[in-house]
Amino acid sequence: MSDAATSKAPPEEAPTENPPRPALYRSLWARYTSTSPIIVALYALTLGLVFGAIIIIVTTPAVLDAWREIFRHWDALPHALNVSFNNVGAAYRAIFTGSVIDPQGFWHSLTTGQNWPNTLTPLSETLTYATPLLIVSVGVGIAFQTGLFNIGANGQAVIGGVAGTVVGSMVRLPTFIHLPMALVGGILGGMLCAAVPGLLKAYTGAHEVIVTLMFNYVTYAFLLYAVLSTPFQQPGQQNDIGRTLYPSAILAPLFGTKSGLRVSYGVVVAGAVVLFAWWLLDRSSLGFDFRVTGANPSAARASGISAKSVIVIVFLISGGLAGLAGFVQVASTTHYIDGGFLIGNAGIGFTAITVALLGRNRPVGILWASLLFAALSVGGRNMQAATGIPLDLATVIQSAVVLFVATPILVKEIFHLRGTSQASTLKISTNVWGS
Amino acid sequence: MESVRRLVTVLGTAALILGTLTVSVASTTVAASASSKFKACVVTDTGGINDKSFNESAWDGLKDAKKQDSNISVQYLSSTSSSDYAPNINSFISKGCGIIVTVGFLMDAATAAAANAHPSQKFAIVDDAPVVKTGTHVEALQYETDQGGFLGGILAAGMTKTGTVATYGGQNFSAVTLYMNGFVAGVRYYDKTWHKKVKVLGWTPGKGTCSLAACSGKGTFIGNFTDQTAGKTDTTTFFSENADIVFPVAGSVGLGSVVAAKGAGAGHYVMWVDSNGCLSDASDCKYFVGTVAKGVEPSVEAAVLSAAKGTFKAGSYIGTLANNGTQLEYGGVTIPTSLKSKIATVKAGIIAGTISVNPNSYPPTPK
Repeated sequence: MSDAATSKAPPEEAPTENPPRPALYRSLWARYTSTSPIIVALYALTLGLVFGAIIIIVTTPAVLDAWREIFRHWDALPHALNVSFNNVGAAYRAIFTGSVIDPQGFWHSLTTGQNWPNTLTPLSETLTYATPLLIVSVGVGIAFQTGLFNIGANGQAVIGGVAGTVVGSMVRLPTFIHLPMALVGGILGGMLCAAVPGLLKAYTGAHEVIVTLMFNYVTYAFLLYAVLSTPFQQPGQQNDIGRTLYPSAILAPLFGTKSGLRVSYGVVVAGAVVLFAWWLLDRSSLGFDFRVTGANPSAARASGISAKSVIVIVFLISGGLAGLAGFVQVASTTHYIDGGFLIGNAGIGFTAITVALLGRNRPVGILWASLLFAALSVGGRNMQAATGIPLDLATVIQSAVVLFVATPILVKEIFHLRGTSQASTLKISTNVWGS
Repeated sequence: MESVRRLVTVLGTAALILGTLTVSVASTTVAASASSKFKACVVTDTGGINDKSFNESAWDGLKDAKKQDSNISVQYLSSTSSSDYAPNINSFISKGCGIIVTVGFLMDAATAAAANAHPSQKFAIVDDAPVVKTGTHVEALQYETDQGGFLGGILAAGMTKTGTVATYGGQNFSAVTLYMNGFVAGVRYYDKTWHKKVKVLGWTPGKGTCSLAACSGKGTFIGNFTDQTAGKTDTTTFFSENADIVFPVAGSVGLGSVVAAKGAGAGHYVMWVDSNGCLSDASDCKYFVGTVAKGVEPSVEAAVLSAAKGTFKAGSYIGTLANNGTQLEYGGVTIPTSLKSKIATVKAGIIAGTISVNPNSYPPTPK
C-alpha cells in the first residue's frame, strides 16, 4: 500500500464527541494508521509492553547472563535470544493467564464442565480490582472535563470508606435498607471531603490542586485516628483495625460465597456510575455547562453559566464518586478498614488520575482503561508468583502506556499514523479561572 | 525521511508480531521449568521484603531455610493493601506452595479463611494466632518480647549514669507495647532488687497483665514506623529530660534516635529492637548498648525446614528466652561483667519462672 493511496482518504475529524464511523471503502491499512484515540491507546499499550520487555531483559539475571555469553563467542546469540523470549514470554503469559483466562483451564472446564470457579478466578479478580478504580476514575474524569484537577480523590475515597463502614458496622438494619444507606454514607463522606476544596476554590480562588493534594494528608491522619479510637476500632483489638461490616452491609459476591469468586455486586454499582456519568456529561444540561466551562471558561461565563456553582457541583460529584469507590472497595473485599487503607501503592485515587487520562475523561474510555490497569495489576501478581519478576513491572508497563498516550506525537511518529493532531491530544484546560 | 518513517513502522509492526509469538511460544517452556522442589512462599504485608522489620526477617528466614536444604525454593508476594492478602495467598495455593508464611496480625482473617478452605495446605503466620477450624496445618509464631524487654530494662538501668532511661513506640499496638512493658518491668525489678532509683520515661503500664493479645498503658508514640524526624525530636526531648538511654520500639524510626544520640554528645545511647542493631546498622554500633531481639528469622526458618522434611508441627510456637524466640544481644558499648552476670541470673530466673515480667509485680519507679 503506497502512501499516495492512503493520503487520498479524507483526514479524520476530531473524534472527541462523535467519531465518524469508518467508511467501508477505507482500507484496513488506513484504519490502523488513523489517529483515533482507541488506535493510539492500543499502540501505546504495545509500546508499553515492548518497554516492559526491555526492562525484563535488562533486570533478569538469567537473561543478562545469556547475553554476557555473546561477548565470548557469537554462537551464543541464538541462545541469548531464546532465553530473552522465554523470560519475556513467560512474564506476559503469566500476566494474561492471571488476569483474563488460562486457555488450558478454560478448555478443560468447557469440555468437562468442571473447575469453573478456578477458571474464572482471574477474570473475577480483575473485575474486583477494576470496580472501585472505575468509580473513582469516572469522578476524576468528570472534574478533568470541567478543567478542574481533583488530586484529592484518594483522600475522599478514604473518608468515604470510613463513613460507609461506620454506617455499615455500627448500625443494624435489614439488607435492603442497610446497604443503600452505607453506600450513601460513602458518597456523603466523599462529598464532605471534596466540598471544602470546592468552596475554597469557588469563593476564594484557592487553587484546587494544592488544597485537594494537602487534604489527602489530613484524611490519612483522620483514618489512623478513626481506626485507633474507641467507637470505631474493632472491639478487643489494640491494633489499627476498624470494625467489620455487618453481613447486611456488604456487597455480596455475584456468584455466591461458595464459588470463591470475589467479584461482587459492586460491578452493578460501577455500571450504574458509568451510565450516570454518560447521561450527565452527554445528555444533561448540567453536563453541557461542565463541558463548556472546561473548554472555554470565558465563553461559559459570557453565556451566563455560573462558574461558582459549576465548581462546587463538580467537586461534590467528583468527591461523592470517590467516596463511593472507597466504600465499594471495603464492602467488596476486606469488609473492614485498617490503618493502611488506600495508602501508598494501593492509592486508587492516584491511579485514577492516570486511568482518567488514558480513558480521555470519557466514561466508556475510563471503563476500558480501568479494566486494563486492573488486568495489569492482577496479572502482575500472577507474574510474580509464577516467574519471580517483581509486581512492580506491571506498574512500569502502566506508567509507560500512560506516557505514550500522553505523548501521541511520539506514537504517531513511531507507527506512522496520519490525521490531525487535534484528535489525539489530551485536552485538559489548565487555566486558572473562577476566582 | 520517508524511508526512515517506513522503517520505524515496519519495526513497530515486527515488535507486535514478535511479542505475540513470544507469548505463545513460551507457554510450553514454563511448564517444563517447574521442578519437584519444595516451595516455601511468603506473603508480606504492605512493608514489603525490604522493610528492615518482620517482613524482611520472615523472607530472610525462608532464604536461611533454602541455604540449609537445597531442595527448597523460595518465593514472595508483596501486598499493596489489605485487600491483596486473600488473592496473594490464593495465588500461592494454586502455585503449589508447600508452606505459605504470612506476616502480621492484619493477615489474620485472610489466613484463617484460606486455612479453613484448604485443610491440607500448610501455613505459618508471624506475630498472630488465627482461629482455625481444624488445627493440623497452621503454625502460629508468636514472641513474648516482654521477656527480652525485661532484660533490656535491666541492662539500661545498670548502664545509665543519669538515673533516667526512656522508651517510645511506633504505634500503640500490643506487638509494640509488649516490649515497652517488659522494659519498664526490668527497670522496676532492677530498682527493687539492687535498691536504685532509676526512672523510666515514655511508658506507664496499665493495670492487669500484658499479653500478646492486649497490652494497656499510656506512653509516647510516634504514630507510624517511618518518621525518623519525629523519632529524633522525641529522643532529644527525652535527653533534655535527663535520660541517657532510649529504647525505641518503632522500626526504622529508631534511626532518628541514633541521630539524636550522636548530636547529644558522649554518654547518650540507644537500645535497638527486633534484629541486632550492630548488624543492621553496623556503622552506628558504638551507640547501641544492646538489642532486644525477636526471633522471627530462626522461627520461620525452623517452620519451613520442618514442613520440607515432613515434620511440620501445627499449633502455637511461643518465642521465649528459653528457645531464643526473644533475647537480649549486647551492642558496641562496653558492659561491666558484674552487670552481665546479673542479667544472666535474671534470664535464668525468667526461664525458670521465678521472676515475673509483669511491671505491676514491682513497686513503681519514683517520680
